[in-house]
Amino acid sequence: MIEYKSVLTTCPYCGTGCTLHLQVLDGTLVGTLPAKEHPISQGGLCIKGWNVHAFVNHKDRLRTPMIRKNGKLEEATWEEALGLVAEKLGEFKAKSGPDSIALLTSAKCTNEENYLLQKFGRAVIGTNNVDHCARL
Amino acid sequence: MTNSIPEFEENTNCFFVIGSNTSEGHPLIATRMLKAQKRGAKIIVVDPRKNQIGHWADIFYTFRPGTDVALFNGLMNVIISEGLEDKAFIAERTEDFEALKTLVAEYTPEKVAEISGVPADGIREIARTYAKAKPAAILYAMGITQHTTGVDNVKSTSNLAMLCGNMGIPGGGVNPLRGQNNVQGACDMGGLPNVYPGYQAVTIPDVQKKFQDAWGSAGPLTVGLTVTEMLHAAQEGKVRALYVMGENPMVSDPDLNHVRHCLEETEFLVVQDIFMTETAEMAHVVLPGVTFAEKDGTFSNTERRVQRVRKAIEPIGDSKPDWVIICELAKKMGATGFDFASPSDIMTEINALTPSYGGITYARLEELGSLQWPCPTVEHAGTPYLHKGKFARGLGKFFPLEFKEPAELPDEEYPFTLTTGRLMFHFHTGSMTRRSEKLDSEVPTAYVEINVRDAEKLGLNGDKRVRVTSRRGEIELDARVTDDIKRGVIFIPFHFAEAAANKLTNSAIDPVAKIPEYKVCAVKVEIVK
Amino acid sequence: MSDRLTSLREAIQQVFPQVDGVLGIRRGPGGIISPYLFHSEHPEELEALAIWPKEPLPDVLRKIQKAHPEAKLAIVCRGCEERGVVEMMKHSQLNWDNLTLIGLQCTKEEAEFCRCAKPYTVHAKIVVGEPIEGVPDPVTEKVAAMSREEKQEFWKEQFLHCIKCYGCRTICPQCFCNICTLEDEKFVETGRLPMPNPSMYHLIRAMHMTAKCVACRECEETCPADIPMAVHFRLIARDVQEMFSYETGAILEQKPPQLLVLEEGEYERTGLPH
Repeated sequence: MIEYKSVLTTCPYCGTGCTLHLQVLDGTLVGTLPAKEHPISQGGLCIKGWNVHAFVNHKDRLRTPMIRKNGKLEEATWEEALGLVAEKLGEFKAKSGPDSIALLTSAKCTNEENYLLQKFGRAVIGTNNVDHCARL
Repeated sequence: MTNSIPEFEENTNCFFVIGSNTSEGHPLIATRMLKAQKRGAKIIVVDPRKNQIGHWADIFYTFRPGTDVALFNGLMNVIISEGLEDKAFIAERTEDFEALKTLVAEYTPEKVAEISGVPADGIREIARTYAKAKPAAILYAMGITQHTTGVDNVKSTSNLAMLCGNMGIPGGGVNPLRGQNNVQGACDMGGLPNVYPGYQAVTIPDVQKKFQDAWGSAGPLTVGLTVTEMLHAAQEGKVRALYVMGENPMVSDPDLNHVRHCLEETEFLVVQDIFMTETAEMAHVVLPGVTFAEKDGTFSNTERRVQRVRKAIEPIGDSKPDWVIICELAKKMGATGFDFASPSDIMTEINALTPSYGGITYARLEELGSLQWPCPTVEHAGTPYLHKGKFARGLGKFFPLEFKEPAELPDEEYPFTLTTGRLMFHFHTGSMTRRSEKLDSEVPTAYVEINVRDAEKLGLNGDKRVRVTSRRGEIELDARVTDDIKRGVIFIPFHFAEAAANKLTNSAIDPVAKIPEYKVCAVKVEIVK
Repeated sequence: MSDRLTSLREAIQQVFPQVDGVLGIRRGPGGIISPYLFHSEHPEELEALAIWPKEPLPDVLRKIQKAHPEAKLAIVCRGCEERGVVEMMKHSQLNWDNLTLIGLQCTKEEAEFCRCAKPYTVHAKIVVGEPIEGVPDPVTEKVAAMSREEKQEFWKEQFLHCIKCYGCRTICPQCFCNICTLEDEKFVETGRLPMPNPSMYHLIRAMHMTAKCVACRECEETCPADIPMAVHFRLIARDVQEMFSYETGAILEQKPPQLLVLEEGEYERTGLPH
């Protein structure tokens, strides 16, 4: 079955909040279309919005976790990478206290992800050292 | 933003744009102003550079970077001395007007002209136009906030808006145009060292208890570190591990040579991102997250409008949605409360703990498209504009503010003022836009804008390679000679790591907001032979 | 309107057995509409079928057919979209033989929104709605009546508003070149706003729309700066009709003038430069 759909989503660039459609053909991104009758973008987009699909499949995308070994970042499994992060954060928390750990949440990530990372910082680590680039 | 973007087209009669290159930074907000202009609304722009929006403006003036407080005081001086203030609004809804009046009396247009470079008659023209065109909206971006007097600048905008009764009405207000798709949401969700989600202060014991009860454990009662402070603390060994999700301080932060040093000192750096950013290259562990196209969620825009992000394709390679990564990590550390099946489930928890998001559910977003907070219940229709009838604190407070010079002024050795910002064609540290073929071909690398007469004095005949040096570093890049920038000021976009403007910028910060002074530092410019 | 929607739904269901999919538009979250490929396997999806506002469907069709050249596809098309499909076929962008057109006739309100002279299909065998007469285009007439100086002043101001989003080019069903002159810095300076010579962008595009524009007005609709650029294309279309007796989308067998090989003598007759 040929599958074509236009997925309504929100532009990941500036704070205007334009919405747009990602054009998906057989599971692959093939373009971007604006959203007519949207209260903010009114069927228009800027050049960044029109090109929003372009970086998603870029060859430089990180595809696997990496761990630094002997000064070099080497590919690792999720199990190894998350295991190491959990172990190290646990260790710093126990030895130097929760405030020896700091977290940067992200103005590019979703509300749900920002909520979770600050919850992780506060409830799991026990620190208020949580910030992001709002000032930058 | 106190107000909403659609109001600009429908209601606003005057736009006062300061510190915002709107047509490049927020293109579809800028074009909304054009629509209003067609029905007679006036556009006033004050900026060190004559950007596209400056070319559209009915009134445009350049001014000296960092003299915003003086300029606002001058405008208020004219408005009060000519009796153009909204007396009823001041009497009913504000306090401390007399103190403001006394202070701004000192800031005559002639005095402010000397400080800011805007001619005295220009100050009168702006003041009269703004004061007589209710509803009038003030629009600003980082040109107001990224100063050591950033908080004073912001208070100045609200002083002016209240003085003319432009608060709590559609089409008016004080409207910071936020630069990132979800910087509003990151703040709303408690991605800040001093507040839980919904701006509930970490220092209040009742708030701590609320989250302790909900989560089983909560943060301490003391405010945490800001990003700039984290980096200093890392250098001092006080912060030993840094977890970075989707940020790139190695390009975005001020004084990059110092940032590099701090990150090198960090014992354990985890970076969760979609590309091998300059920051990820320094990490001990790199976790591959996904782009907006591969996950579900919500973003909150500059006018507090919460909208859906929808998964269009499967994650690339072995990457995972950031929310999944955090949940898996938390569970690995033995934590409970991270068993979410979907972002919609996470939103249900947010609804319960964040009063302003109480009624913003996925079901409602599906039906309505968007909701603007505050939206406390599922019956609430959302809030297009704030402060209707009453300010959050009761009476609106005027802040009498003296003008203070920026932290670093040009001198004989560093005679130019550097200001930084964005371009239409790129975004922030460029990790996405520089990997988009069409955007990259528009502007493949950095350049510096310099005034045509300054260029003549330097012996720059046409565009040439120059070296720009500050007390903190130096970069080499091409010069773009233009009429559209004030003499003595140069502009460098900060997207480009190979000629990073932030190697030059000053990390001096506003004492309250801790925001660095990206918009003013002293530099020298030399031709590269 | 609801009658047309019901009839369209029925027409699509009739076509379903003969095709691999029907391209139309559907109403999604928050009432926002978008192109969608409907399938006979999921007739219930036709519940969300929508007809207005219109969407740039011919270009979506081109993308689908490029990936599936053998597929039998149907497209819901209005007059302008039908013209778009015809012109794409003439320029070898679509395989006409594998297509079924479901013609949707516009209402007066829709035609007025588009200032459309031909709000009806002429080739589609399956037709939904009653065809109506074309409506006048007051915007084009206003500009046409201006003096040369007034026109210059008018367009200068319009072009200053251009934010170089390339939306008019990107959304255009007739802009399918692999290499676009508008991205060539020899013609249009890259990376500058406002564009130093915005008329280069807009007039090059206007020239490239000669005998191509199908008057769908998608370019104007997507322009954040409300530049009435279709006016150019419509005025040029009048000249093309006069000089070459060519109208986009009208006669299937007639080659567009830019694809004609002219004999030497004909250059002089048509007044084209050598």
